[in-house]
Amino acid sequence: MNQAGNTEALLAPPGTIPREAQNFADTNPGPPTVPSTIGSDAQWNIHRVDNGSIQNGFPPNTVYNYQMHTQLPTNEGMNGSTAVGSLTLAPSSAPQDYSAYSTHQNSSADSYGYATTGYTSYYSSYQQQTSHSYSQPIVAYPNTGHPYQPLSSFQNTGSYAAPANYSSTYYNPGDYQTSAGYPTTNYSNQASSQWNEGNYANYSSYQYSNYAPNSAGAYGSVSAPAAPLHYQPQHPQYYGQSHTEVTCAPGTENLSVSATTKLDCHTPVVPGVTRDYSATSQPQQTSAVSWRPEATSFQLPPQQPTTLINGAQESQWNYGASGFTNHQSTAGKPEAYQPFDTTPVYANFQEPQNCVVAGNQGTNLQYHAAHQVPQTNQFPSTLQASQSLDSQRVSKFQIQTNPRIVSNLGSSFVKTEKAGSGTSTASKPAYVSVSLPNPSDKVLSSDASDSALKSGTFPKSLRGYVERTLARCKNDAELSACQGIMKEMITSATADGTLYTRDWDTEPLFPLPSVDEANKVVQYPVSSSTFRSPTRRAKSRWEPLQVEKPQDRLAHVGIPAVNFGGWKKANQRDKMSLGVDSESTEDRVDSMKLSNMEQNVIRSRRPFKRQRIADKPTMMENGNASSDSDKEQSLSSSYSTASSLSNTPEERKRRENRSKRFEKVQGNRTDPYHHLKTKDAGMKNLYTRRATAMVMSKNLDNRGSEAVEDMDWDALTVKGTCQEIEKRYLRLTSAPDPATVRPEDVLEKALAMVQISQKNYLYKCDQLKSIRQDLTVQRIRNGLTVKVYETHARLALEYCDLSEYNQCQSQLKTLYTEGIEGCHMEFSAYSLLCVILHSNNYRDLLSLMSRLPSVAKEDKAVKHALAVRAAVTAGNYIMFFKLYKKAPNLNSYLMDLYVDKMRYMAVCCMSKSYRPNIPVSYISRVLGFACASSANDENEGKEKDGIEECTEWLKAHGACLVTDSNGELQFDAKASSSSLYIPEPEDAVAHGDANLAVDDFLARATS
Amino acid sequence: MAYLSMGEAHRRITEYLNSFSESVFSQDAASLKLLLCFSSNSPSLLSVADSLNLFQDANRLIKQSDKYSQFGEIIVHLFRSLQNYRLGHSFDAYNAYEKAANAFIQEFRNWDSAWALEALYVVAYEIRILAERADRELASSGKPPEKLKGAGSFLMKVFGVLAGKGPKRVGALYVTCQLFKIYFKLGTVHLCRSVIRSIEAVRIFDFEEFPKRDKVTYMYYTGRLEVFNENFPAADHKLSYALTHCNPHSEANIRMILKYLIPVKLSLGILPQDWLLEKYNLVEYRNVVLALKSGDLRLLRAALDEHEDRFLRSGVYLVLEKLELQVYQRLLKKIYIIQKQKDPSKAHQIKLEVIIKALKWLEIDMDSDEVECIVVILIHKNLVKGYFAHKSKVVVLSKQDPFPKLNGKPVGS
Repeated sequence: MNQAGNTEALLAPPGTIPREAQNFADTNPGPPTVPSTIGSDAQWNIHRVDNGSIQNGFPPNTVYNYQMHTQLPTNEGMNGSTAVGSLTLAPSSAPQDYSAYSTHQNSSADSYGYATTGYTSYYSSYQQQTSHSYSQPIVAYPNTGHPYQPLSSFQNTGSYAAPANYSSTYYNPGDYQTSAGYPTTNYSNQASSQWNEGNYANYSSYQYSNYAPNSAGAYGSVSAPAAPLHYQPQHPQYYGQSHTEVTCAPGTENLSVSATTKLDCHTPVVPGVTRDYSATSQPQQTSAVSWRPEATSFQLPPQQPTTLINGAQESQWNYGASGFTNHQSTAGKPEAYQPFDTTPVYANFQEPQNCVVAGNQGTNLQYHAAHQVPQTNQFPSTLQASQSLDSQRVSKFQIQTNPRIVSNLGSSFVKTEKAGSGTSTASKPAYVSVSLPNPSDKVLSSDASDSALKSGTFPKSLRGYVERTLARCKNDAELSACQGIMKEMITSATADGTLYTRDWDTEPLFPLPSVDEANKVVQYPVSSSTFRSPTRRAKSRWEPLQVEKPQDRLAHVGIPAVNFGGWKKANQRDKMSLGVDSESTEDRVDSMKLSNMEQNVIRSRRPFKRQRIADKPTMMENGNASSDSDKEQSLSSSYSTASSLSNTPEERKRRENRSKRFEKVQGNRTDPYHHLKTKDAGMKNLYTRRATAMVMSKNLDNRGSEAVEDMDWDALTVKGTCQEIEKRYLRLTSAPDPATVRPEDVLEKALAMVQISQKNYLYKCDQLKSIRQDLTVQRIRNGLTVKVYETHARLALEYCDLSEYNQCQSQLKTLYTEGIEGCHMEFSAYSLLCVILHSNNYRDLLSLMSRLPSVAKEDKAVKHALAVRAAVTAGNYIMFFKLYKKAPNLNSYLMDLYVDKMRYMAVCCMSKSYRPNIPVSYISRVLGFACASSANDENEGKEKDGIEECTEWLKAHGACLVTDSNGELQFDAKASSSSLYIPEPEDAVAHGDANLAVDDFLARATS
Repeated sequence: MAYLSMGEAHRRITEYLNSFSESVFSQDAASLKLLLCFSSNSPSLLSVADSLNLFQDANRLIKQSDKYSQFGEIIVHLFRSLQNYRLGHSFDAYNAYEKAANAFIQEFRNWDSAWALEALYVVAYEIRILAERADRELASSGKPPEKLKGAGSFLMKVFGVLAGKGPKRVGALYVTCQLFKIYFKLGTVHLCRSVIRSIEAVRIFDFEEFPKRDKVTYMYYTGRLEVFNENFPAADHKLSYALTHCNPHSEANIRMILKYLIPVKLSLGILPQDWLLEKYNLVEYRNVVLALKSGDLRLLRAALDEHEDRFLRSGVYLVLEKLELQVYQRLLKKIYIIQKQKDPSKAHQIKLEVIIKALKWLEIDMDSDEVECIVVILIHKNLVKGYFAHKSKVVVLSKQDPFPKLNGKPVGS
């Protein structure tokens, strides 16, 4: 059901929102209510229920899933039309609300579902926190932050009592460290060191880059199974909603205040808060502190799992808690609960993550924003009386939470915005005058935000953000630098359409740029490290948190948000495994079945080869994207659905690992969500995409070390039972199902079928890959395996699919060394040729040659390959083309790829050595244009064709041709010697063969 | 072993422990390195090994005194390694030694001065030797030999300790050379690049200040790398440096250098004296040199064929193969000289068929297209000055210096 819902949603035009949406809306009380403790509790409960159901694989799940997926499409719709804006708060408009909501998410999170996941994680984390000793700080966080937090989560906090106070405690560095329960030392140490090791280094000039590493790190850490476990035990409690627990929690002990009453806590804490936060810029500091631990916590979990699980979490716990708190603030957006819902989907979310990480500035920003939000907002509120807090919270809450409003704003202001992006710089000074926001101001602004927005200016929150930012500037240079940055931000936000949806109140302030760097490409908060002088950076890397500047903190803050996805997952997993819901397993089974059914659907829309995927963005850039958008969507949805197919915890873990590895391997890979996103934003986002690629590559580096591939392959060895001969290739995202795996005899038939098949290469490649997969899964390594790989390698050679060929070749190499019979000689000839012609690496060549057994040198194919090598090293083109004509096996296909180079080299050589000129017919014959080898009759005609071809080729390469007195075309050597060049290939495609065009594939994939 | 009494064993072990801590406290690298150098098979070490095998409770001895136990991490593993080494268990010996070495590195890092460099050299050397033995043991039992690789990454760590600024940097080149040896042995030569970069790119330490033996080794290996890259002038420079600074009495080393330097020089047009080849037993190059002198293509091919395996293994095959063009040049020059003797006025025109005929005499059968191609390439590569007239099939040589000498420049430049 879930998947069904998803796909449906995806396919459905934005306007038609499936019923589920409504469901969702219903479950989550539409209009945000003031979080009175009781009320909030109630709501929270509801929410909880939802969660539970989700986990159980209950229908509600679907809904949530749906949400995630739909976001993008809806967004599109939303952006295009202002209609959403008109929506009212009334629950009746739920569906619309919903859509608005989704938009909001999108824009704000910018992550395709990814964002949601992240939030989810936060959310979950939040829960955990509450349950914990830490609960106090946590609670506080949500509250403070919380204007943004979705009703459910937020209210919970509310129920806990005065949130503000807690937060303050938490934030207060002093408290933090003093608290007995907290392993403060650990924090600082670990945080700094780990942090530095991995991500810090990566922070380079770009924000993007920063992000990428962060997210990567986060994810990697996420994968660590241990982390999630910690929290599990506590969840139940939390759900039980025993407040006492919270108070009693180990963390609470530390804080006397907390122990007594939550309300009481307020007062004591406040002072601390004020201290830290009175200045707008400072809040980040505290947050940063908290973050640090976070980062640590993520990485640490893997090592500590056992302890945590046991419930003796104290030390570990702290980490988690701190991390979570921060997150919470991040989570403080309405989206927070979505993630909840999405739990089932989270499998998908890794892919999405990729996208997000990779490239979306928007997303990144969002996260940061999220982090900051709580801080800034909180402070004012804390200072104020609790009542004011409440109200403020409420107001904010409404704004943020209600997607509709946000969207309204967005829609109404889109135009102004765009115009504004240009003018924003100019307008900023005005904001400056406003300077430091005082608490009351804040409240007002938040309250008024509704009306203000409607009035048609920039969103109030944005203005506040600008003010805050500019207030930090100490001189004109900084001011202008900041303006530049903000202009960039706003422009990009406008481009993404997130200007109005984004939560500017929570948007982290970017670090003050050094003036000269101010003009760099979009600079976001995270990059703070960039701005520091090297020495400074090095120092801060290792030193404990306190010394850090606010900006630095920011950088850290940004990271956690991204990380959270991982936690969430873990949580979910834990919950499931712990059997918090007794029914969950069964339900899950059901859902799995359902998903299996879905699988068929998915298969029919099988994901295309990654190559193609990688090509996609390019294609879109060329403006072709729109035509394929539907297909893409469906494809991508099938991707995501596919990945969410199985739900067991172990599988999830495996999947995580795998997809992580995948990310590592394929820098270019774009994910479904990414596609959606790109399409969404259209051409506007070109730059985002580029950034994505960049970040991706960063990611690669970052993750390189984190691959944990500790699968138990033995346990996964299956005996297939599938009797179907034809099977499409689908990259496994879970343990193979014997029912879909073909046993050896069927595979043999399948191979024969492919060999005689008349269909095109893509089909055959697909079939062979599925055969290979089945072989691998069943660990069949014998003659058949060799045959399959050989067949595939030959096929790939014929179609110049070198990457596929290389895969096969490397497999064959190991298979041959295992002593399995095959066409060893033929393939050693190929690999020789490959090295000679394509990698041109003398060392490899030498080692290959020296390893050739003397028998091999007698083999026809190997001999030929060696002769080709001699010809190439000598530059003997005559020999080369002679060999080309009599190449055995598929050697000529490999040589094909070198022919052009050889010809060009030859012509260069000729132009220098011949005088005065040479007949083109000679060149044509010598350089293999005319196939002189065929029968005499045809010979003449062919030669003529050859001459024409040769003439064209020569012309294309800038040769000077003259006709002599006999009317014969001549190559003017002297004139040509300075005019030759290598033309740009006209039909160049990334994968080297225009025949394998994406459109072609898509056309077939959907039919 | 039987004659070794328990007390004697105890005494020997304590003696070892004493001299270890003694040498560390007095910063006596010379005696410390003796204690680490297993492969020297020194009788004292072997007797300690025997004692250890007899007296199983050495760890207790180490713990007894603070003097020893502060090096416990090192010595415990060292003892285990020594025991295994004595028993011929290379794999276990290596593993333990690596642990000991790791602990040693930790200590070394904390010592401000570089007094223990000599000992560190020994550790680096031992780890490589033991890894090679361990790999042999692994390979013979059918397991993948990967210890040398492990030694490589350990040495990278050591390199990291040394490569920074300060007095310890002097030792970096030694470790680099050990790394080269490992990488060349493993065939993972590309890994050399990062080490080379940090040796050469960092200006904080003048290359000349490294110890001579390390410089020679380093130049030898980097020269070989340049041969792989076909960067002959650079290879010539590095190998020549190695040759001139090499100890003139260590003939084996000179031979190793010449093995690469000669092909490099040949490809730069510089031929060795015959006595050199004889003295250093490099006769496999003799026919190659002869072929270059006489323009006898057949001889060159025969020589390459005869020693193909050897050339392929040492990696000079491709270099020697490229000498073919020079042989062709020599052949053409001979024809030109003969023509000049006959008729000086027409000497600068060589008919293609003459060349074909000459090749036929050498029993090399090539059709006119191919020969034409060769001539064209010769002109293109600047081995012959002139041009080829396609219509009349004649090579027209320049009147001035038609066969320019390479004079130390690579072909084609």
